[in-house]
Amino acid sequence: MGLLSVLFGRHKIKQVNRDGYFSIATAADSLHSYGDLEHTGKAGLVFNPVESTFFENLNSEVNELLEVTSKSTDSEYEIVDDTYGTSWVVISDHDFDDLVSVLYLIGETITEHGFGDRLVATVFGFNYKDNQAYLIYNIKRGKFYPMVLSGGKERDNRSEMHIGTLLEKENLPVEKSLEQWYALWGIPF
Amino acid sequence: MHQRGYGRDTELNIRMALTSFFLLLIYVAFAGLLFWAGISPIFILIMGAILAAFQYFGSDKLVLLTTGARIVGPDEEPKLHGMVERLSAMADMPRPKKLAIIDTHVPNAFATGRNPKNSIVTVTTGLMSRLDEKEQEAVLAHELSHIKNRDVMIITWAGLIVIVSGYLLQVLFWISLFGGFGGGRRESGSNSMLIALALYVGTIIIYFMSQLLILSLSRYREYAADRSGAMLTGAPLQLASALNKISDDMYRIPEKDLRQVEHANAFFIINAIKGNASAKLLSSHPPVEKRVERLREMHRQMEAGF
Repeated sequence: MGLLSVLFGRHKIKQVNRDGYFSIATAADSLHSYGDLEHTGKAGLVFNPVESTFFENLNSEVNELLEVTSKSTDSEYEIVDDTYGTSWVVISDHDFDDLVSVLYLIGETITEHGFGDRLVATVFGFNYKDNQAYLIYNIKRGKFYPMVLSGGKERDNRSEMHIGTLLEKENLPVEKSLEQWYALWGIPF
Repeated sequence: MHQRGYGRDTELNIRMALTSFFLLLIYVAFAGLLFWAGISPIFILIMGAILAAFQYFGSDKLVLLTTGARIVGPDEEPKLHGMVERLSAMADMPRPKKLAIIDTHVPNAFATGRNPKNSIVTVTTGLMSRLDEKEQEAVLAHELSHIKNRDVMIITWAGLIVIVSGYLLQVLFWISLFGGFGGGRRESGSNSMLIALALYVGTIIIYFMSQLLILSLSRYREYAADRSGAMLTGAPLQLASALNKISDDMYRIPEKDLRQVEHANAFFIINAIKGNASAKLLSSHPPVEKRVERLREMHRQMEAGF
């Protein structure tokens, strides 16, 4: 958590609803031990870029950011465009806390440049039993919800609702209305 | 059967009791109205009972006739029969008399029959193809719970007043059309005219009130069948997932992509339509979102044990 305190010392967090975001870091261990949710060491931030040199130079921005933080993390990153016209910063790191904080920092950087409204979601990759699972943090709403893919393409609503209950038990801010549990198809990790 | 913490739903029980109480009040009011108007309520109720009994004893055959359902034997659908048999054994009830299948893409299932021994469980081919085995099991458990809870009987007999007052309304309408009122009693024409008018208005009120009460009772029975069905399989989320798949309304876990709705969100199309109170009042089934939410609550109670 060393990075987090640095972060809190430096910035004042503007959006109140991102407070709940960090609860996933503390929940990860118990989700693993009795929830069968094992993180894959990959997570991403999906955003909707605008025509701005900032986004064109995002590569170097992220690079710079990771260089600054690389003393405490060994994160690797990748920027991927998807078919929805949105882009992903995908971070690989075996340490879950680092995934959480690095993605937060990238989000903060984008927000500081005035593009906070372009952020869509932060997504964490998990293995759930034999299936791919994702915990999606809807940045606009400040809420988490799960997405489980069975057989790669279909959503497994039963497992999703089960994980939803587990998240609630871990005191994560869980999206209450199921109709907001939107899918994210073709997550690049 | 409710000694376990996760199956309890006190609120639902209170609501059901309240609805039944109001229904009883309506019955008494109706009888009082008839008595006051000089019509023998006993005669009317007997007539209604005959009508209801007809519906009650004939409902299974009628449903099969009107929906084009086909009775399937164990050799034809061994899996379905096996599942129903297993669930019936779990529920400690006789297995339904027959199982039937309707050949349609619309996913649905229902149970008919006045008592467990004479019941028929019907499913559509759309239901079987769209749901996985666990979800099929959950739906069958829900239907078996309707049978075990005697819902056909309860709704039929509670609904007697709707049939009777509806019938009386028709009779009054035709009498008034042919100028029957007032002519019968020569001694006080205007007075009997007034009585007839009060009877007419009273019956209309009773008809609609009882209709609403029956509909809400029916919705509560639906929740109750969800609850006992989920107790039977021990897996409320199986049913929640099945409901989610077969419902065509928009309040469910979407297949739609978050990135696609990002743009549309600005217009708040969805929120504007939400919360239609009159639609809720007038439907016999509760909205799927609420049923799913209750099943999730049950699952939360189950998880709380850890």
